[in-house]
Amino acid sequence: MGAPRRLAARLLRAAVRLAPGESREWAAAMLHELDFVEGDWAALFWALGSTTVILRHAASAWREWFKGRTKEEVGMNNTGKKALGVGIGMFSALALIGCAFAVLRISGLVFPGLEHSSLTYWLAVLAIPEVIFLAATVALWRKRGPVAAGVLAIGLMMALHVAVHFAMR
Amino acid sequence: MKLRLSPQTMLVLDAFLEQPEEWMYGYDLSRVTGLKSGTLYPILMRMAERKLLETEWEASEPGKPPRHMYRFTPEGLRFARASVTAGARGGLGEVALGMVGS
Repeated sequence: MGAPRRLAARLLRAAVRLAPGESREWAAAMLHELDFVEGDWAALFWALGSTTVILRHAASAWREWFKGRTKEEVGMNNTGKKALGVGIGMFSALALIGCAFAVLRISGLVFPGLEHSSLTYWLAVLAIPEVIFLAATVALWRKRGPVAAGVLAIGLMMALHVAVHFAMR
Repeated sequence: MKLRLSPQTMLVLDAFLEQPEEWMYGYDLSRVTGLKSGTLYPILMRMAERKLLETEWEASEPGKPPRHMYRFTPEGLRFARASVTAGARGGLGEVALGMVGS
C-alpha cells in the first residue's frame, strides 16, 4: 500500500470517527469503497472528495440544528433576551468610557510632554460620552429598546456620579 | 418535493436505469458516470433522503469490508423514467416528485 492510499485511508477513518449521526453511515460507505479504487493517487482523490462531502453534510446538519435552537430560545425566553439586550447596552457604554480613558492615558505615556488638563478628562470621559449615550438612546429606543435602556442606565449613573461629586465639594 | 435535475444527476439516473433491479456500488457508479466522489455522493445522499434510492450494506466475506449498495425504490424508478422522458423532450430542470404518476 503506497503512501497516498495510506493517507487516504487515515483521512476517511478520521472522517468516520468525527462525522455526526447520519453522516457517519455515508462516511463509512465511502471508506469501504476505498479498497476498490484502482491506483493510489485515485484513492487519495477519492478520499479528499469524500471528506469534503462529509464535512459539508455535517455542517449543514449543524446549521439546521443551530437554527432550530435559536428559534426555540427566542420564542421561549423573551425575558432573557431583554436582559441580554440591557447587558449589551451597558457593556457598550462602559467600553466607550474605558476606551476614552485608555486613549488619554496612553497618549500621556507615549508623548510625555503632553499633559492633559482636568478639563480634557471631563470632556473625553464624561461630556462627550454622555452626548453619545443620549444620541444612541434616542436612535435605538424604538428598534433596540433593551439596548437603549442599558446605554441610558450607564449615562444616568455617570450623570449621578458627577452630581454627587459637585455636591460633595 | 423537488429534485434539481442537473446534468450530473441525469448521469446517475441513467446509470441506475441501465439495470434498475440491480444493486450498485459507489465506486462502480463513479466509473460508469465519470463523476468524482465529491459530486456523486451528494447526489446519492439527496436521492436516498427523498426515498428515491434504497441503501443496504452488502454481507461480505470475513476480512473484507462490507460495501454500501444502492438501487431505485419503485418511486425512484418512476421518477427516473419521468425525468429521462422530460429530459428527452427538452423539459424542465426540475421534476416534482408528487407529480410522477403512481
